[in-house]
Amino acid sequence: MLDFTSTPIILTLTLGAVGVIIPVISAARKEKNDSLYGGIAFAALAAAIGFVAYQIISKHVLPAAIFSKGVLANDMFGSFFAIAMLIVGIMTTVGSFNYMKGRANPAVYYSLIILSSIGMVLIAYSTDLVMLFVAWELMSIPTYVLAGFLKKDPTSNEAAIKYFLFGALSSGIIIWGISLAYGLTGSTNIEQVIAGFSHLSPDMMPLAILAVGMFIAGFGFKIGLVPFHMWLPDTYEGAPPTISALLAAGTKKAGFAAALRVIIMGAIALNLNWSLALAVIAVVTMTFGNLAAIRQKNLSRMLAYSSIGHAGYILIGLSIAPFSAIGIAAALFHILNHAVMKAAAFIAVAGIITTLSISHIDKLRGLGRRMPITSLGLVISLLALAGVPPLNGFWSKLMLFGSAINAGASVSWAPYLAVAGVLNSALSLAYYGWIIRKMYFEEGESEKRVKEPKSIIAVMIFSIIFMVGIGVYPDPFIQFAKSAVPALTSLSAIH
Amino acid sequence: MDFGSLGLSAGPLNVWMVWILPFVGALIIPAAARVSKNSSGYVAVAFALASAVSAATLIPLALHNQEIHNQIPWISSIGLKAGILADPLAAIMTNVVAWISFLIFVYSLGYMKGDRDLMRFFFWMSFFIGSMQLIVLSDNFLQLFFGWEGVGLASYALVGFWYRDKKKDHVGTEGRTVLGLLDYYSPTQAGMKAFIMTKVGDIMMLAGMFLIFAFAGTFGFRELAANTSWATAMSSQNLLIPAAILLFGGAIGKSAQFPLNEWLLEAMTGPTSVSALIHAATMVKAGVFLVARLGPLFFALAAAGLNMDQFFEVVAWVGAITAFLLATQGMVHTEIKKVLAYSTGSQIGYMMMALGIAGLSRQFVDGYTAGFFHLISHAMFKASLFMAAGSLLHVVGSRFMTDMGGLRRLMPKTYIFMWAAGLGLMGAPFITTGFWSKDAIFGAVYQSGNTWALPIFIMAVITAVMTTFYTTRMIGMVFFGNKSKHVEHLEKDGYHVHEASPVMWVPYGILAALTIGVGILGLTFEHEIHNIFTTYLSSTFGIQSQVGAVATESQQLLGGFLEGVNPIALTASLSAFAIGFALGYVFYIGRFADPAKFVNSNIVFYAIHKFFLNRWYLDALINWTFVVGPLYLARGIYRYFEDKVMEGFNLVPEKTMAGGARILQSTQTGISQSYLYVFGAGILIVVLLLFI
Repeated sequence: MLDFTSTPIILTLTLGAVGVIIPVISAARKEKNDSLYGGIAFAALAAAIGFVAYQIISKHVLPAAIFSKGVLANDMFGSFFAIAMLIVGIMTTVGSFNYMKGRANPAVYYSLIILSSIGMVLIAYSTDLVMLFVAWELMSIPTYVLAGFLKKDPTSNEAAIKYFLFGALSSGIIIWGISLAYGLTGSTNIEQVIAGFSHLSPDMMPLAILAVGMFIAGFGFKIGLVPFHMWLPDTYEGAPPTISALLAAGTKKAGFAAALRVIIMGAIALNLNWSLALAVIAVVTMTFGNLAAIRQKNLSRMLAYSSIGHAGYILIGLSIAPFSAIGIAAALFHILNHAVMKAAAFIAVAGIITTLSISHIDKLRGLGRRMPITSLGLVISLLALAGVPPLNGFWSKLMLFGSAINAGASVSWAPYLAVAGVLNSALSLAYYGWIIRKMYFEEGESEKRVKEPKSIIAVMIFSIIFMVGIGVYPDPFIQFAKSAVPALTSLSAIH
Repeated sequence: MDFGSLGLSAGPLNVWMVWILPFVGALIIPAAARVSKNSSGYVAVAFALASAVSAATLIPLALHNQEIHNQIPWISSIGLKAGILADPLAAIMTNVVAWISFLIFVYSLGYMKGDRDLMRFFFWMSFFIGSMQLIVLSDNFLQLFFGWEGVGLASYALVGFWYRDKKKDHVGTEGRTVLGLLDYYSPTQAGMKAFIMTKVGDIMMLAGMFLIFAFAGTFGFRELAANTSWATAMSSQNLLIPAAILLFGGAIGKSAQFPLNEWLLEAMTGPTSVSALIHAATMVKAGVFLVARLGPLFFALAAAGLNMDQFFEVVAWVGAITAFLLATQGMVHTEIKKVLAYSTGSQIGYMMMALGIAGLSRQFVDGYTAGFFHLISHAMFKASLFMAAGSLLHVVGSRFMTDMGGLRRLMPKTYIFMWAAGLGLMGAPFITTGFWSKDAIFGAVYQSGNTWALPIFIMAVITAVMTTFYTTRMIGMVFFGNKSKHVEHLEKDGYHVHEASPVMWVPYGILAALTIGVGILGLTFEHEIHNIFTTYLSSTFGIQSQVGAVATESQQLLGGFLEGVNPIALTASLSAFAIGFALGYVFYIGRFADPAKFVNSNIVFYAIHKFFLNRWYLDALINWTFVVGPLYLARGIYRYFEDKVMEGFNLVPEKTMAGGARILQSTQTGISQSYLYVFGAGILIVVLLLFI
């Protein structure tokens, strides 16, 4: 029996219903009133986030309890990601109001965003590998469609095809990993898989390691880890920029949720020396992302590479998790921050593209005076991405690098992660600063102020408040991130 | 601390409100400006007044030596707390800032009338005083630093307020060069200069702050004072004095002290009310306040057997040098705001000198009181002078005093107020606050008994002569003599030179009247502050003053009226005033001699004049060393190294990547296949890494 009062079930049922109904309404209506569907989607997502927040505040969420017959757990870890994912869903929806104006099939568009959001939320709540996989596909499939939503635009089609190709491959790889795990332990419940792994006979170890490797590759594709990243810049560049926001800020983070649930715990159970493997990937990923971003001329593409770089930072927290108490909390905090910063940046880009049709960085000259609010939002999100105090990105990077330095007591290489992170942050300022310089300190061909879309302004104001607010008073969110950690560590403590 | 005994009037909430309200006002202003373009000014004034009223409720704290110290959790993950600390020092300071700012805001309503960016102006003005009050009321370094940076940001935005860089908004004489560099700055340039120069100090301060934090584990002022083991630990590694001096670096930058003084002169490019705010109530006073905050803390370390003399010597000397250096230049410049700016830097130098000398003398409280008293009196007369100068600029339409002249009949109110406030700056005997506060500084320096007391005292007295001279010169050039060609030209065009509107002259009238009013009661006022600080310093820091020390050295003059005043200091300030005033009178009011002819009469005077006019070549040298030189160097590096060597090297990765991309991009399907190949290879690598 399903427990119908459990948060993930309620979210799935209500959001799912709204997602399914929107296209039906559209079919029944004669006029194509775009704003209606966006409004419904926004209301549903806002209600969902309110519900999750209420559950947390009213302490209905147990720190590490397993509900729903071991398929879904209504724990703090899931709630944390649910909040982050729903924020991204809302920002994407509101940011799309303007972008979708006059484009075909708005109802389907918003419906797909909702469905994908359900998938992201469910991944975080999953405690069963099959459930996780179903949620993974629920998240992915709508985004394949969304990436190719501009069906007359070849780059959008290319984006979708590449994305789909890799998505299909990685799905296959994840299934392979799941089947290995099931074959070895006779269960798909993550808790039992981990328990099984820890009592494995030595000759079966290589297969278990292969399973973990498959999970890393499969989830690493979504996260954008080097060398599974190659599709990512093409897709982010070609997809509608609002969808790039969803991909970079949402699905990418869901990949981390899955990785945290499965890889880390599996690896702990196997007593693997996986830290160094992840650390190597982390450094390669962040360095590659930031180096490649420097030479980009397209704003979306640059942000895509920057998000690869950030995946590297977050991976620091994962790789040193066994040695530092705050590693995972730091990673979670940065995931939340990065979700908002990157979504804000992409939606600012969407606003710039729709009003001025500019995506080339050199054409941003004088933008600060043409679109002051959008530019301010973009600048603050870029500075936050670079980790400039007092913005939210500063605190989470501080925690990440600080935890790496703390871990130096146990493993000698850990502080070098912090060094790599700091050097990379400095490097990233080069291309963020370049954009800011273009926008504010160079004269453009036209200096005339243009009318900024209201929906973009709304998203910008929300993100500015979020980024500056957390920057000034980060404590509640740090505590929130810390409260999500026991859900994971208690699972790993079972064996 | 028993808050109940304070009654309803002063609670922690009032203290928080003092700095929060201006920020709230700043946030409301953009919204209000949407409703009505002119409403932003009124919103700003209303919030400034509300903040000032909250500040006024703190006055009893100063009078009864009480303090409100309230903390809330800030970032408890790393044990940081946000807090406010309203002790007598902060309570007095916050009132000076709040009320003078309020008057300046009212004045701005008139001065900025019709400007196209009123919203932006008042937003930053409110932000400015909010940040300043945050500095004053913070209970720890870190929070203070937030305010510190807020002040820096606001000053950048306001100095460069007229960012369109029109010619009339520049400062300096067009085309004039010093050592081959233009001595002519646009508002945006000036804003950048102020920002960067003060930033040098800020970084020093940040370093000092964290150095102390590394040893003490706290940023809190009270925590640092309560347990001084950190100081002993730092001292054993010879880090205590460097850390203290680094902190003082922040004050040097913010308060425009030597050698970071040059930004203050170009900060004139902002609207005049901004200058008034910077010079009288906020920016430059922040540095003095910081020293006043830290001075007792460091002095009290003597109890722990630590000698902080070196720190106080640096403070005193920096103050003395700045006071002298800037006064010399104030005598020769012809832009009215620039003269006032030089005078500000010079007067701040006096305050630093007093605070520094306080730490070197047996009677800490004497110098401390003198420095702080001078801060208060300077805030009054300098705000008044700046606002009056703004009126002149507004009416005459030129920043040069040579374009004014003979205005005393045309602008009688401004004329009278400028005399009153100007007398304060000169330190006119017995009737002005400036006289008493300057005299207190002279007395403190002279009686300190330090080895450096005499040279510093002599510099201070010479500076006082110059101060009186340039103030007299300023008033003489503006109000006496014949009308300048510029004014005649204006009148010929049918423009009537007239008094500014009441909303402008009333604020500076009030301050001018206060300069005289408080001045008449000056000695009583000084004694009151002295008493407040004596109890404050002994109860909070355990710094005891030797009762009777003053009485034995001072003598009864004029039947006890001048009790507590050092006769030598008194003689010195009287004669300084007399000499300076007489010289100024001869050249600029009576006009018995032509100053230009006098300067050109022999090569020595000419050289000195030019030396002062070229700002001792300091500005040009700093510019050459830190701006122009590095730019040339960078260009050289680019041309000979970057272009040749690095570009060649850069081509390697670029070509590799481009080559790689070419291989990958040979066909459309080729890309995805290579991608998939990499993906597959990646899986192998990951699995291998796990096996290692």
